[in-house]
Amino acid sequence: MIRTNAVPRPVRTAAALAGVAGMLALAGCATDATVAENTATPSGASTSSAPSAAATESPATGSAYTDGTYTAEGSYQTPESVEKVSVTLTLEGDVVTDVEVTGDPQARESQQYQSQFIGGIADEVVGKSIDDISVSRVAGSSLTSGGFNKAVEEIKSEAAA
Amino acid sequence: MPELWRFEAIGTRWEIETAELLGASLRDEVGALIAGFDATWSRFRADSVVMRLAAAGGSAALPADAAAMLDLYRELDRATGGAVNPLVGESLARRGYDAGLSLADAGAVPAPGDWMSRLAWDGAELRLDGAATIDVGALGKGRLVDLVLALLAPRVDGTVVVDASGDLAVRGGPVRVGLEHPYDATRAIGVVEVTDAALCASATNRRAWGEGLHHVLDARTGVPVRRIAATWALAPRAMHADAAATALFFDGGPQLAAEWGVDWVRMTTDGRVEWSPGGRAELFV
Repeated sequence: MIRTNAVPRPVRTAAALAGVAGMLALAGCATDATVAENTATPSGASTSSAPSAAATESPATGSAYTDGTYTAEGSYQTPESVEKVSVTLTLEGDVVTDVEVTGDPQARESQQYQSQFIGGIADEVVGKSIDDISVSRVAGSSLTSGGFNKAVEEIKSEAAA
Repeated sequence: MPELWRFEAIGTRWEIETAELLGASLRDEVGALIAGFDATWSRFRADSVVMRLAAAGGSAALPADAAAMLDLYRELDRATGGAVNPLVGESLARRGYDAGLSLADAGAVPAPGDWMSRLAWDGAELRLDGAATIDVGALGKGRLVDLVLALLAPRVDGTVVVDASGDLAVRGGPVRVGLEHPYDATRAIGVVEVTDAALCASATNRRAWGEGLHHVLDARTGVPVRRIAATWALAPRAMHADAAATALFFDGGPQLAAEWGVDWVRMTTDGRVEWSPGGRAELFV
């Protein structure tokens, strides 16, 4: 579900030439498990991320990856929103020495903004028996028709067969 | 005792309550009104206007309720960041909620995010650019409840209740309505009194057919919602109450309800209950 849609953001730009070479080298191995797990695990997000990144320091001899700090942004969709995460990791000698994952601060602001339209929250609701509350009607999800119920019964019996 | 008229239509159960028995000709008019709405908007019949447009798009004479409903969809889209979309029909069908009720899940597909440029209407025509399935489920039943009440209200005396199971509108009242617990239909989480207004409920428990599969999808992803289990909205008209009840499954719903002056209650899937500022519902919390 993760789509990486952000342009790599060089942390430092002094080693621009080496950075391009490093980016090409890394792009070929970008789905390497080490990188993917290190970026994805702290956020609890899907591990299907394939971050693109820009190297900012010269390649270290004998290393698969160029040492440096990499930042990638990804977005993933939940049923209620589109969330963004930013992952910054530091590589030294093919070892990840630092990982920072930040969520989308806009999402938190949005949550706080939305809360002003909510009058109250109760953590638990037990409810009362409908027989005890003297109502003439009940409102819940729409009752389904015979056709829908029959279709559900059919797939249940197929699943049980 | 009030008179009750029960029937099944548009895939759900209806109950119309009036002080006096409704005559046969008035019942026929109600039946014809519902049948006409179904013939235009049903996603479950091949000869409906929306299904004739679905295969390749095209144009149709503007259906009577198109502008009112689609204008409200624009507000829903804006408020929910695109989570509510009238071209969500194919996304629902792919999850198995299709015309043949296959209930066979073929995965999540987003609804066309560019629906406002693909679906156009003016005083004469409804036009759809390319293949897409219109589904007015976010507010269509509420609209139909309003139409039925508008047909009956001037013709009968006393309190009239049009209850299309989940969406109801009242002329007169008050009518005390229990808010059904989404995980236990023998219990209510609260009571609302409805007077000259509409109460619409939506929940993910009944139109459900598989692991996490139910009829309330996020149009941006085609994935069923997981955070909210049930919503209720009280508004002067059922179309707005129905639309707000749908929006309340998503971020932005409470704000839209505030803009419309809609009173609401909702329950999360982990059992919390939230309600609108100044809400009039009596809740058993």
